[in-house]
Amino acid sequence: MADAGNGAASILSISSLTKRFGETTAVDDISLEIPEGEFFTIVGPSGSGKSTLIRILAGLEKPDSGQVALRGKDLTGVPANSRPTCMVFQSLALFRHMTVGENVEFSQKVRGVPAAERREQALANLRLVRLPTEFYDRKVTQCSGGERQRVALARALASDPEILFFDEPLSAIDYRLRKILEVEMKELHRRTGKTFIYITHNVEEAMVMSDRIAIMRDGRLVQIGTPAEIYHRPTSRFVAQFMGEVNIFTTSSGRILELEAEHGDLDDGYLVVRPEHIRPDARDADVSFEARIESGFMLGSRSQYHLRVGDSIVIAELPEGAARGIIAGETGRWGFRLSDSAALEN
Amino acid sequence: MSQHNGAGRLAALPAVLLLAAGFVLPILLVVAYSFMPSRTFGLDSDATLANYQSAFTDDYWQPLAWSASTALVTTLICLLLAWPTAKVLNRRAGPFATTVTVLIALPIFISESVRLFGLSLFLMPGGGILAGTLNTLFGIEIGSILNTRLAALIGYVYIHFPFVLFPLLLGLSLIPREQVEAARDLGASGWQVFREIELPLAMPGVTIGALLSFVLSLGANAEMSILGGQAVTVVTRAIEQRFSYAQDWPLGAALTVLVIVITAAIVLPLLKRIDLDGLIRR
Repeated sequence: MADAGNGAASILSISSLTKRFGETTAVDDISLEIPEGEFFTIVGPSGSGKSTLIRILAGLEKPDSGQVALRGKDLTGVPANSRPTCMVFQSLALFRHMTVGENVEFSQKVRGVPAAERREQALANLRLVRLPTEFYDRKVTQCSGGERQRVALARALASDPEILFFDEPLSAIDYRLRKILEVEMKELHRRTGKTFIYITHNVEEAMVMSDRIAIMRDGRLVQIGTPAEIYHRPTSRFVAQFMGEVNIFTTSSGRILELEAEHGDLDDGYLVVRPEHIRPDARDADVSFEARIESGFMLGSRSQYHLRVGDSIVIAELPEGAARGIIAGETGRWGFRLSDSAALEN
Repeated sequence: MSQHNGAGRLAALPAVLLLAAGFVLPILLVVAYSFMPSRTFGLDSDATLANYQSAFTDDYWQPLAWSASTALVTTLICLLLAWPTAKVLNRRAGPFATTVTVLIALPIFISESVRLFGLSLFLMPGGGILAGTLNTLFGIEIGSILNTRLAALIGYVYIHFPFVLFPLLLGLSLIPREQVEAARDLGASGWQVFREIELPLAMPGVTIGALLSFVLSLGANAEMSILGGQAVTVVTRAIEQRFSYAQDWPLGAALTVLVIVITAAIVLPLLKRIDLDGLIRR
């Protein structure tokens, strides 16, 4: 039924979901199919409605209209405590008056599972998120940021949910630890085989972890695809810009206006070219242009250059080794291949 | 000893002297008098426990028991009434909550006796607001409840409700909304959320409110004299009578010491358990 990436049956079906807060439409007629076992990420800037969307999916917010169904069963009116789903909150929402063990066992305690059985499962869940079992008796307040992250994951997994929701749980974590946790999250997804639905404003995070990404803007999903599809074939300028620094040129009657360059295969609209595809070598380029190197920056493994063409700036990035002999202030011919670019209508 | 510490001690000296003269000394005097023989007016007799014996045998335990049990009942009723009120006020911020809060807080600035006399107008039989309204609108005739223990209890609850409500509001405001949502998301029912999350997290507020209500009720007198018509003698009134009409200072002192001991036995252990500094810093 769905255009699901890997062909598995869809576990979550969202149809025409809409939610308004006063004048603003936070979620605007969203329909979506998510296949079983997928790591699906919704990326959008703040205010795009992604938090509202995931809160509706978790049952913490009621939609104004539309439906949410899990394996074909309507969930729309079902409250959060009766849904077989679980959410990891941005704040993690760990119960600070409880120990790590009590936090992890909470979902089973409220279901009346006997203490001994709870404890055994809690220890197994701590091992699953790579926390030493002696954390069981530790206070949540004694845990570091990364440890709390794992406790929150273990607590969510302990409720054995069909779907795990994540509301930007890594946003408050510093870069180094976040990179480690991103990989662990991906790994945990693979090991548990559960469906993960994740929201973030961080594209990089989405690219590392996800099977599919949806880009959200003003309450709508503007593009859905694999990380590679979205990165290489954005369907709108918004998505292209959202996925990192890009050059966007305006094309009209076979001409690229900003570059004063021409090519017969150009449709009217826009052309997106990533900085790494702009080359200081016009020989096998489809489009080439004369530019002055205005400035250069070292970005670690690569260098970035700002090239001036008339009134416009074109951004180019070269790997460290290829950057030799490129000096700010000099004028030269640069170019790119059309196969490395994406043409857009809007 | 560091310089800093020395200066701190010096600055604290006036307050220490004031408390010593105005608080510690009188209490020591009262304690000393409580061990003197009945109806003596000096501290030069031999110490005796006779007053404490009288306090428990000569029917003086009744005012004490009544005040303590009323303080307890008042506190429980106030907690039961204040929790839902605080929940609503906490959830619904904005003009509504502000208005209600002001309406509850404003009467505190009016003298307690005036408010209780106002309440007596409400409870008065015949032309009273409660009886009159019930009679006119529904044709229900109620007898007088003024000058009964029930009227006094209504007064106790009315006076002490804000002292429970505001600490509770503070306590509830300490609960992050996401903690409640997480608990529900993990499958907790409304009751389980209250039991496992809200109550423990709001406990500092609950404790402070309960203590204020209990301690103030234990020492309250006006509710019984204005609304209760002295249907029962409360412990503060009993003490007052010992000191004034009966001219029995030692017995009055012994009753006073008992009230202080009961209060301290309840307040001190509970206060130890709450982090007041942490509450204020938030």
